[in-house]
Amino acid sequence: MPVTALARTAVAGIGRTAFTRKSGRTTLAMAVEAARAALDDAGLAARDVDGIIGYGINDTAMAQDVAFAMGTDGPLSYAQDIFGGGNIAAAIPPMAASAIQTGSADVVVVFRSMNGRSGKRFGQLGGAGIDGPMQFNVPHGYAVATQFAAMWARRHQETYGSTSEDLGAIAITQRTHASANEHAIAREPLDLPTYLASRWITEPLRIYDCAYEADGAVALVITALERARDLRQPPVLIGTSVDAYGPGSSWDQWHDMTRMWSSHAAPRFWSKTGLSPTDVDVACIYDCYTYTVMTVLEDFGFYPKGQAGEFFRGGHATYGGEVVVNPHGGLLSEGYLHGLNHPYEAVLQLRGQAGARQVSGARTALVTGGAGPYGGAVLYTADER
Amino acid sequence: MSSDAAGVSAPPQPSTDSETEGFWQATEKDEFALCHCQNCGLWIHPPLERCRRCAGPTAFDTVSGAGTIASYIVIRHPTVAGYEVPYPITLVELDEQVGLRFVSRLVGTDPEEVRIGQRVQAEIVGLPGGTYRIPVFRLSTR
Repeated sequence: MPVTALARTAVAGIGRTAFTRKSGRTTLAMAVEAARAALDDAGLAARDVDGIIGYGINDTAMAQDVAFAMGTDGPLSYAQDIFGGGNIAAAIPPMAASAIQTGSADVVVVFRSMNGRSGKRFGQLGGAGIDGPMQFNVPHGYAVATQFAAMWARRHQETYGSTSEDLGAIAITQRTHASANEHAIAREPLDLPTYLASRWITEPLRIYDCAYEADGAVALVITALERARDLRQPPVLIGTSVDAYGPGSSWDQWHDMTRMWSSHAAPRFWSKTGLSPTDVDVACIYDCYTYTVMTVLEDFGFYPKGQAGEFFRGGHATYGGEVVVNPHGGLLSEGYLHGLNHPYEAVLQLRGQAGARQVSGARTALVTGGAGPYGGAVLYTADER
Repeated sequence: MSSDAAGVSAPPQPSTDSETEGFWQATEKDEFALCHCQNCGLWIHPPLERCRRCAGPTAFDTVSGAGTIASYIVIRHPTVAGYEVPYPITLVELDEQVGLRFVSRLVGTDPEEVRIGQRVQAEIVGLPGGTYRIPVFRLSTR
């Protein structure tokens, strides 16, 4: 029952700012620009909006302030500022869908706005003492997600024989995709010698294994499917949404570093959707690191453990292959917009509006958010009315 | 000793609370102690006021400090000041309980020589930049 209920909402509009390394703008201004662009795309006006959701863990803009600044009229009936990053990135559009289904709102804007490069960067430590569980790790310099992911990647290499070349194949595939995307920040081609010669951030992860930090904003407009069908753009349906959190949030105490949240979520996702990996045309996989892509796709059954290198090198993750993984270039190359650029790309692809990087006949997209112990997956489909 | 862009030459110091202070009180006495349920015997790290399994009271009890490297990284791009790069950080599974892991620097070993599965022993050393003492690991000689 929840599955059919969720299937009755859709993304009606999408908007974004330029992605840059130094915006020179406030997160509020960027959020407003992206939200207005999404409304314009849908053929809606600010006065139609009665719900808004923003999320962030470093910088963001307050949801109510964004709504006010973009020109909403009366009071909002729904507004949420969610504390979270990649872990809840996939779950944000389904949250808007839920708000619509429960009658909390009719038209919901969701956004992520951040100066992720020129503002507060991830991993920057303040001068204060370290409280909570991290007080045992940070004093050693074990402080940021890159290091946690590197710890896991090493274990995967030991257990399944995955290699630097395998991680490189993921970075290279996504960079090749980004080269056809004029919105991507990093478009210069990448080859294996360049990848292998690049500097370590935390061994075994190199700079090309890490998301490309960016400033910018992305927004989506979500409404009931029936309403979306009367609007300017073809609706893209928000389908089954499956999250998995934990047990616990600690990367260090997680039971198996070669599997992520997706090892819990994937069986439920396939069971609820009735689909299998071969049914997916586009996979926008949260890619804070290449290792995240490697493992999440394993967990979802796109290839057996340890076979990522063969899958990517063999062309199975690109045009003409089994599934096109991150056709926009992902966080690695389009830019680190904290995962909301993934549903944006899925919508473009499912509308058939992705231009030079269009995946031919794309009808079904898997979008994930999160890495390590927490994340979620959402099915997006073209309107088959 | 390295310093960061702001000229800071020591790593961040812990800010203790009611759930963690027992750990630091133990290291002050050169003991490596972890949170231990006094009712069901579960070891818990990071520490909790009450056991997550049985809700029983917890206390800090000494562990052997012996364990096995479950994974490791080599820091080449320093996140905190106070250590010469490159240096290895190890995720060690302690002998006391399956899945009980503790993260720390591995000292006395070239980063190129570290391997998953190596046996290690904890020892307590001073944390640069203050008065705290903290466990680090060294390859076991036994």
